[in-house]
This record gives sequence, structure tokens and C-alpha cells, in this order.
Amino acid sequence: MFYREAGQFKSSYKEDQAVFPILQDRIGVGITLAIAFIGIPLFGGEYFISAIMIPFLILALAAIGLNILTGYAGQISLGTGGFMAVGAFAAYKFATWTIVIGQFEGTIPLVLTILLSGVVAAIVGILFGIPSLRIKGFYLAVATLAAQFFIEWVLVKFGWFTNYSPSGIITAPKLEILGYVFSSPAEKYILTLSFVVVLAMAAKNLVRSHIGRGWMAIRDMDIAAEIIGFKPLQTKLSAFAVSSFFCGVAGALWAFIHLGTVEPEAFGINRSFSILFMVIIGGMGSIMGAFIGAAFILLLPIFLSNVPPMIGWDIGVDMVAHMEFMIFGALIIFFLIVEPHGLARLWSIGKEKLRSWPFPY
Amino acid sequence: MEDLWFELLFFLEVLFSGLLTGSLYSLVALGFVLIFKASGVFNFAQGAMMLFAALSLVGFQEMLGVHWTVAFLLAFAVMIVLAWCVEKFVLGKLVNQEPIILFMATIGITFFLDGFGQTVWGSDIKVLDIGLPTGSFDMGGIFIDKLELVAGATAAGLVFVLAVFFNKTKIGRALRAVADDHQAAMSVGISLRYIWIVVWSVAGLVGLVAGIMWGSKLGVQFSLSLIALKALPVLMLGGFTSIPGAIIGGLIIGSGEKLAEIYIGPFVGGAIENWFAYMLALVFLLFRPQGLFGEKIIERV
Amino acid sequence: MEEQNRQIGDVLLAVEDISLSFGAVRAISDVSFNIKKGEIRAIIGPNGAGKTSMLNCINGFYHPQQGTISYKGITRNQMKPYEAAAQGIGRTFQNVALFKGMSTLDNIMTGRNLKMKSSLLSSVIWWGAAQKEELEHRRFVEDIIDFLEIEAIRKTPVGRLPYGLQKRVELGRALAAEPELLLLDEPMAGMNLEEKEDMCRFILDVNDEFGTTICLIEHDMGVVMDISDRVMVLDYGGKIADGTPEEVRADQNVIDAYLGGGH
Repeated sequence: MFYREAGQFKSSYKEDQAVFPILQDRIGVGITLAIAFIGIPLFGGEYFISAIMIPFLILALAAIGLNILTGYAGQISLGTGGFMAVGAFAAYKFATWTIVIGQFEGTIPLVLTILLSGVVAAIVGILFGIPSLRIKGFYLAVATLAAQFFIEWVLVKFGWFTNYSPSGIITAPKLEILGYVFSSPAEKYILTLSFVVVLAMAAKNLVRSHIGRGWMAIRDMDIAAEIIGFKPLQTKLSAFAVSSFFCGVAGALWAFIHLGTVEPEAFGINRSFSILFMVIIGGMGSIMGAFIGAAFILLLPIFLSNVPPMIGWDIGVDMVAHMEFMIFGALIIFFLIVEPHGLARLWSIGKEKLRSWPFPY
Repeated sequence: MEDLWFELLFFLEVLFSGLLTGSLYSLVALGFVLIFKASGVFNFAQGAMMLFAALSLVGFQEMLGVHWTVAFLLAFAVMIVLAWCVEKFVLGKLVNQEPIILFMATIGITFFLDGFGQTVWGSDIKVLDIGLPTGSFDMGGIFIDKLELVAGATAAGLVFVLAVFFNKTKIGRALRAVADDHQAAMSVGISLRYIWIVVWSVAGLVGLVAGIMWGSKLGVQFSLSLIALKALPVLMLGGFTSIPGAIIGGLIIGSGEKLAEIYIGPFVGGAIENWFAYMLALVFLLFRPQGLFGEKIIERV
Repeated sequence: MEEQNRQIGDVLLAVEDISLSFGAVRAISDVSFNIKKGEIRAIIGPNGAGKTSMLNCINGFYHPQQGTISYKGITRNQMKPYEAAAQGIGRTFQNVALFKGMSTLDNIMTGRNLKMKSSLLSSVIWWGAAQKEELEHRRFVEDIIDFLEIEAIRKTPVGRLPYGLQKRVELGRALAAEPELLLLDEPMAGMNLEEKEDMCRFILDVNDEFGTTICLIEHDMGVVMDISDRVMVLDYGGKIADGTPEEVRADQNVIDAYLGGGH
């Protein structure tokens, strides 16, 4: 009754192709953005913003990156953490690089630093993506693990990356744009939100362009795709590049905004798997799915550790950790059985049902 | 002249040690290959299964005070029950899904097994002692670790038995049919359920043996399930579907890794064991994308 | 079929002494034939005769161990499939090779890929050059959708479509690239009489209106004899006849091997 397309006619292909063709969707997105940009900073508590919203946004960004590579282009990657690490360390190096030109001495502006770190990650991504031309499927997945472990080792081994810091712990630089320092959680949140919204939009544009179609074609039937003219090399490498860019930026944001330090441990193989879960549970081949998946994976441990005490169930701390593992594993299997195409698919099925509500069909 | 001889002996020692470690990797890889061959599933939980099996063995030994052979059988029974559960609650519900979905499901199983194992048996390091020899013996100037030798021999024996099983028995043939095409196999009357339970049980057995070997070497603890990560380059090298590939791949990776750590490691700051195996396999794959013995897929349109 | 004012021109594609083997299996043995510009050429023969393999060679997907293929006068060796596509060779497949994850519209749009030049950066920004190009090509694709009468299913994911419609969408995808030479692998397999008539009509229209050269593999003899200008017959990888439909129909070798009636 409320969610209908009846009466909304599209009189041009342009209107038909819009990201949100249905008016109700546009209103929904508008409200969401309003809540995100205005509501949350004003009313959200510090814990909520720092421990939930900020990591949620950054991980969603990484999930978008992985989604592009695995969900849209069909190249299974287990090296997401590694590419995030590249972004984080590249950002650190750029941020601590004092450029001296004549009398002018300064550092690269923050936004540029972060974008540049994404570019560096993209280049590394292309390098490790080259094997994808010969290697497919799970062989490729294992090859991406090579990237993960190698990158981890390089970043730890060579002191140049940490500017030869003796303690090995590097604090992230101040977040400053044009003199304005982002220090409070709400400020950091707005900064993160802006990055993520802009990049998510960019991702959405890309996947509905001919480049996105190329990725999906290679994913669905790479031989047929090549026969009708898609160049496998360019298509696959562009997927690796764009995906790594997103992961690199996410890594930089994770280090600079969320952690406040730049450390390789945050980007280990557990991170890679965690992001892969987000993509699968959220829905492969869906930008929105990345957000849903990130929310799910992020909130689950919090939920699991807070609920038992709430219902008066007192188990030892150790036990809780073990049970979390068990429940996490069981839930993953549950979701895969119930909806292998992820929560995003459940969401769109829900919307379809909503279209005919209150009628059954 | 003396020096050269010494160098040679040292090299051989490292090589041998690497080969034997490699055979241990092969044992783990074998579990992967079995399951992949017969159900097309890349079973990430192989490592967790190994840990769980070893935990059960030690647990039964301690709890019931029985001889290790009895504990072994009990642990094997546990693995069969596990195989049945996996089939009923996971595989059976995910028939015909894409491989990556099944792969993710095995990661789910990994988490579950890790948590479950530690809930039931506790999370402290356990000593696994079934009377395997320890220490090393001297063979003409080269020191060989006894445990590793036993492991190598066991691996060889197991492989032989499995190879015969796959190629000569009726069940083996059915397993290969299922690996090729689930629906076709069903249409000729092969019960997928039964086959999967068999395969996962056998893989569980292999995991148990591997768990015993590695557990004797390192103690039974959580990190055991991470050994599985080392088996992955072995699979890449040998091919996901080949038993001989798992063996030879394991030997190459094991020896390559040891040799690299000793001879190249000092130049680049050490600790290259983490990634060397992967890089080695990766480079190899570039020349042979399906691994040494993996099936070459002729693509048709 | 009435002879229209179709211009059948010079040789567009020439295949000389092609041999193709997969290990010990010989798929094609010493086959030579040509396709003239503007004609409708049929390749027929029993299953396993090497027909699809021949098309795959023309597409650059298989590389014959022996022999040469010349397209528009230029001999090409080891051509990659996407290069063949860039040269104007289009293709449909025996087992519909549509991109199952995409809708009809998107599938046909992928056919326009070679003509779409927007850079990555431009696509990211979208509003502006990339959008304009997308809309242009959308218009062209909509014309094809009109032509093939599949407007109703343009947003449907192709995996949900019945087989006959999938084949039509695949034809649309091939047409989207504006090919000079269109290779059709059993375009009418699995269709009922009405669908076949529709498909025939489309193929003839494409040849007639756009002058596209067509090479098709087909088992339906009625169709083949009706619409083709020349027919080549393959059997066990070798050529056993080549000529007009009437000539081929009367050829004893062909009757023995394929058409039957002699036993």
C-alpha cells in the first residue's frame, strides 16, 4: 500500500537508470542520511559513536572493496587485511613526509594523504592480481594468502615503514584539515562518514557502469566474456586495483581514526576472514550488502558478550569466549543455509513483499 | 675439504628434516584432498578437525585412563559422529550451492569446532603421549629426528592405503563419481549422504593421525589448527584433487621452507617461514595453474 | 525463399587446411572453406563432427595446430578472442552462455562493451560523460530489444527466463556489438515451431537490413535448406561436402553420413 511503484512513470532512460528509481526509496535514503549526518552526532553517546558507528563505517568500506573483487568480479580474495595494512602504512609515510620546496615546508593534506594511500594499495593490489590471469578459483584464494602473509612480513621487517620507531608502536598523526582539528568522537565520526558516503557512491556508480558489467561478465562466464570482447587482463586487474583502493583507504581510516595507532596486527588474517564474512553474509554483489554485513559481524560479538549477563546467565569469561566462537560458527552456517545470497537478498525480498502489502501477492 | 663435507652433511640434515616435516604437511593436506575430491568442498575446518581429534584422544586417555589404542578408536568414533553431524546439519542443507558458500560454511564449522573443543576439553596445552619415540639418531653424521621419521613412514603407509581405497574399491569409485558431478552421481543411485559421511569420516581419521603426529611434536593446543594454513600451499602445489600431489607437494614445500629459512633467511632478516611456502607455490602455479597433478580443465563453450 | 537484392560480395573469412587436436583426439582434420560477405553460410553434420570447434577457432578461442585463418584478407595467428571480437566477429553459443547474474538489459549492454570508452575515473563520477555514453548505448540496445520483441523481460534476471527466450537474449547480445560476421551455434535448438519461425525471421532480417554475414550451425534441415546460401558438411572432423543447399542435399556422401535414407 505504501511501497508501490504504481503511478511513478519513467519517461526517459535516465530516470529509469537512477540508483533509487522508486520515490519511497529516495525518501528512505534521505531520511537515513539525515539521521546519519545530523541525528547521530547530536544524540549518539560517545561509546556508541566510537566503538560502534566508526568501526562499522570503516569496515563497511573495506567490505565494499572486497565485494567489488569477490562479489562483482568473482575473484576470491583472502588478502583483504594485507591491502588494508598497505593503506594504513602508506598513509603514515605520506603523513610524516615533510616536503621542502624552496621556502615552503609542509606535509600533505589529510584527505590527499588518505586518497594517495588508497592509490598505493591499488598498485600493490594490481601486482598481486597479476596471477589471477592464470590462476582461478580456490587456487587464487590461496595465492591471495601469499599476499597477506608477505605484506605482513614486509611491514614488520623493514623499519622504514615505521620510520624506525624504537618501540614499534606508532601513533597516528593528528586529524587536521585546513587548521580544524577533528578530535572528539562526533567530529571523527563526521569525517569518517563523509569519506564513506562519497566512496560508497563512487562504488555504486562504478558497478552500474560498463566497467561493473565487465566484472560481472568475467565472474559469470569468463570465456564467453572474452569472446564477446572483454579483455580479461584489464578487467581483472581493474577489479583488483579498485578493490585494493577501497581496502587501502579503509585501512588508513582504521589506523588514523579508529585505532589512533598504525600496527600490522590489526590487519592480520583474522581481519581478512572477518571482512569476507561481512561480504558473504551481507550479500555478494551488493553495495548495500557490505553495510548490512559489517553491521552484523560488528554487532554480533557485542551482542553475544552482553546478552548472557543481561538474562542473568553467569558463565566464566573464558567460557564466554569459547561459546562466542561456537555461536558465531553456528550462525554463519545458519545464514548460509537460509539465504546464501546474504541479508541484502532478504532485504530485497522483504521490499518485494512490501510492494504488495497488505495483499499476499 | 673437511668443511665441504660438513656443509654437505648439514645440507642433507636440513633437507631430511624438511622432507619429514613436509610429510607431516602432506598428512594434513591429505584430509583436504579427500574431501575436495569427493565432495568438491574446500574444507577449511580440516585443521580444527585435527585439533578436535587430538583433543579427544588425549581427553579419553586422561579421563578413562585407557591405553592409547582404545583412546584412538574412541576418538575415531567421535570423528565419525562429527562427520554425520556435518552432513546432517551443514552439507545436506547446502547441496548444490556455489563452492564459495560451502567454503564459508566450513569456516563456520571451524569456529564452532574450536569453541566446542575448548568448551568440552579445556583450553590448556595438553601433552600427547602415545609412546612415539623421541629424540634423534645418528645416521652416518646426519641427525634424524625419530618422531619425524615415524610420521613420515605413517604418512606413506596411509597414502598407500588411501590410494588403493580410491582406485580399487566400489566405494572409492562412487567417491570419484560424486566428486565429478553430484547430480549425475545421484541419478545413478549413489547416496550422496552416505558418501559424504564416509569421506568426512576418513578425513577425520587422517586428521586424527595428523593430529597425533603434530600433537606429539608440539603439544595439543589451539595453534594446531593453524597448521592447516601451512597445508594450503601444499595443495596449491600438488593440486587440490591429487593424493600423490599432496605427498610430493608436501615434500617440496617442507624441504623448500626449511632450506630457505636456513640458507636465505639470514640475508633478509629471518622469519620467512610465514610466507615462503606460499610464494613458492604461487610462482609454481604461474607455470602450472592446476598444480602438479591437479586436473587440467579443458574449457568448452 | 525469394532471392532479395542481397549483395553477396567477396570472401570475408577464409579457412585453409585447419587441423585441431586435443591431445590425442583429432577434432578437425584439414578443413578448408570460406564465407563470403553478406551470405548466410551453414555448417551441418552429425554430433561431434567438429562444428562448434570450428567456430571456436574462428573466434580465437581454440588455436589450430595447423592451417591458417584469414579475415578481411589478413591472416591471423594465435588471435585472442577479444581481438576477434574487436575485429567484428560476434557469436552465440550452443549452451546459452549468458551472464546469469545479470538482467536481460544488462546482458545485451555487455555486448556494447567494445564501443564504450568511458574511463574508470569518468565512470566513478558518472554524472557527465559516462552517463551520457551509457544513455546513448541504452538507446541502441533498446532498439535491439524492440527488434527482438523482448521488451517485457528486459529487467528480468536471465537465469529465470525460459530457454527459448534466453537464446533470443543471447542473439541480442551478439547483435549489440554490431558484428560484421555473426557466428550462431544452434540458435534454434530446443525451440518449438513458432519460436523457430521467429528466430529465422530475426536472422534473415539481420542479414537483410544490416548486411551482417551469418555463419550458422544448425540441425533443422528445413531451416538450413530454406535460409542458407551455401552449406558445408562436416563429419568426424573432415569436410565431406560444400555447396548450395540443393547440391548438398543430393550429395551421396552427405546422405550416407547424416541425412539418412540410404540404409
